[in-house]
Amino acid sequence: MVERVTKPNPIWKTFSSVKLAIVLLILIAITSVLGTFIPQREEAFDFARKLSPTTFHFFQALHLFDMYHATWFRVLIGLLALNLVVCSIDRFPTTWRRFSAQPRPDRTKLFQDLSPEQSFEAKVSGDWLLKAIEAYLNAHYKRVHKALSSGQAFFYGEKGRFSHFGVYLVHLSILVIILGALIGSFFGFEAYVNILEGDQVHTALLRGRALPIDLGFSVRCNDFRVAFYDNGAPKEYRSDLSFLVNGKVVKSAILLVNHPVRFRGITFYQSSYGSVAGDTAKIRLVKKASKLEATSMTVKVGQKNTLPHQEGTFEITQIKENFMRMGPAVLVSVDSRDGNRYRFWVFQHCETIMQRFPGIFQQFPKLNPSSFEPYTFFLDEIESRYYTGLQLSKDPGVSVVWAGCFLMIGGLFVTFFTSHRRIWIRVSEQKGVAKISVAGMANKNPVGLERELYGLTKALQEKLKGEAQ
Amino acid sequence: MINTTILSYVTFVYFAAFLFYLCMMIMNKETFGRLASIISFLGLLTHAFAIGLRWYESYELGIGHAPFSNLYESLIFFSWTVILLYLLVEWRTKNKTLGVFVTPLAFLAMAYASFSPSINSKIQPLIPALKSNWLIAHVITCFFGYAAFGLSFGLSLMYLIKQSKGAKNSNLFLRLIPKITVLDELNYQVVVIGFLMLTLGIITGSVWAHSAWGSYWSWDPKETWSLITWLVYALVLHSRMVRGWRGKRIAFLCIVGFSCVLFTYFGVNYLAGLHSYAKS
Repeated sequence: MVERVTKPNPIWKTFSSVKLAIVLLILIAITSVLGTFIPQREEAFDFARKLSPTTFHFFQALHLFDMYHATWFRVLIGLLALNLVVCSIDRFPTTWRRFSAQPRPDRTKLFQDLSPEQSFEAKVSGDWLLKAIEAYLNAHYKRVHKALSSGQAFFYGEKGRFSHFGVYLVHLSILVIILGALIGSFFGFEAYVNILEGDQVHTALLRGRALPIDLGFSVRCNDFRVAFYDNGAPKEYRSDLSFLVNGKVVKSAILLVNHPVRFRGITFYQSSYGSVAGDTAKIRLVKKASKLEATSMTVKVGQKNTLPHQEGTFEITQIKENFMRMGPAVLVSVDSRDGNRYRFWVFQHCETIMQRFPGIFQQFPKLNPSSFEPYTFFLDEIESRYYTGLQLSKDPGVSVVWAGCFLMIGGLFVTFFTSHRRIWIRVSEQKGVAKISVAGMANKNPVGLERELYGLTKALQEKLKGEAQ
Repeated sequence: MINTTILSYVTFVYFAAFLFYLCMMIMNKETFGRLASIISFLGLLTHAFAIGLRWYESYELGIGHAPFSNLYESLIFFSWTVILLYLLVEWRTKNKTLGVFVTPLAFLAMAYASFSPSINSKIQPLIPALKSNWLIAHVITCFFGYAAFGLSFGLSLMYLIKQSKGAKNSNLFLRLIPKITVLDELNYQVVVIGFLMLTLGIITGSVWAHSAWGSYWSWDPKETWSLITWLVYALVLHSRMVRGWRGKRIAFLCIVGFSCVLFTYFGVNYLAGLHSYAKS
């Protein structure tokens, strides 16, 4: 075996110091603040655009737009983890000694300066008295042993020695949580997909990288519904999903917010919703000559329709939900009988647009719904289809994180609410009167120890009185 | 709604309690202290009744849910936990001086909730993200944590005031404040309670986030600030337990900690994030 170096390695010394832990805690706390003021990830784009190029490059170089996933931040957390491990290894032998030490029962120093409440006299004597005390201690304490010396008897007992390990449990729990997070970041993913009602998908886009991944199965959105309260606040988002493998429905489920659905290791969350233009629109044709003559029809994209008086045909070639930021519009293409083609956009909110931009339709024939005389086209409605926005995630580290959380709660309870209490009892007899004194030590909570010693003294007094009668 | 009316009166009850605690300290009269405790206790009972009534009224409206769903309801609950924890400490320690420092937190929170024009006191239906059983566990643990840190803040102020005047000073106002070592020990105990509750609050929050937002931790500003708060109090505990810090430095750190609590609670609302329902 290699002989241990007696002089501690300076690196080891640095990492075993609580000072480093405190510095790291402060650094992590301060740097974390940055990320709450600088918009992160998806929210960063708008903010980044407002920055000057120099500032932008500076931010970019430090990964401040995604700082919690930046290498330097992970290094800080890694250093803290290392610090925790080294501190724990460094201190463990001392803790173990405290845990396993068997103090001598006959210690006298402890019995100096006892408060009067910690001793009493009993008019009983001999073996009987010692046995009674020993029996009481055995019932309430662990590792009880005694020593006899020159007319005095000493007892030792203890409880809660596992309290020394509470801090280790808490520190271990932090490492377990970090491990769980690492497992998640290496073997898990987060992705998004929008599915139109009635459609099915077998891929989703990875978060941040916009890379499609193949799920290995298909998801179909059979139905999406959003319900509102009377005050307009949303009440429920509900997707009716089916999971298909090789074209066969394997599982169907209702997905709600707070009620994710799991399929083949991937969890689906209701994340957003929206609507897109479908492929039909309601069109109304008004002929100028006779104001009363209006024809309404529902038209599908690409479908040829004959004009009411056979002046030609028209079709809708495009439907836009929000064209030029002026609301829904359709692109109409009219082929007149004399062989001319007219293409123009028809807005749904014609009147509002005219009020906002007077003369716009006369100025731009491409936007004029009356481009093909004598008809004026009106768009009454475009059909829209809902899509459900799903978030997909796979995180094999979650159960590890939960285990860490349980460990942390357990560890905190052990650390804060238990203490290693060691008690000593001295019995000295003089002229048939026994003087019994109780002393103790604890690794924490001195007030609790005081209460314990007081209670123990009382209990012994009662017991000896009761049995003497 | 009757509950909001009762709650707005409770504000004045706590203000009265504060005045009586103050009189007790200035005039050194036990009677004022006893009155202050009785008033606080009655306030606490009325307050609890009003919260229960609000809960009941939400069911009457057909949108029943626990009254922990927006800023108004959280302020009301925060103030209740502060008074409850304070009265427990008062009962255990038999010292009423902390009351002067803590009742203002309760009545300020109540006043802000009841009288600020920007706060909506109406019972609102739950939006989908809040429809979860974790709501109750998360809010209760967090707010007991906040309240314990509030008490720690009060104790730290008492420590700094008492210490700056010196132990021998028989200033009327300071006479009744316990010895600084007692304050330090008590401060440690409430920080332990707060730390445990905040830990539970963060954990219940991440369990909830896991089912609502698809991730147990998303570095949302409120999450991050709660972690920062947790780190500050972890620092308090380490510097005390391992490095043996006592007194002034701990008191100072606890005040920093409570300002982090306040930022986690209010300041974060000015930043974008997922916890937006806690804003109004």
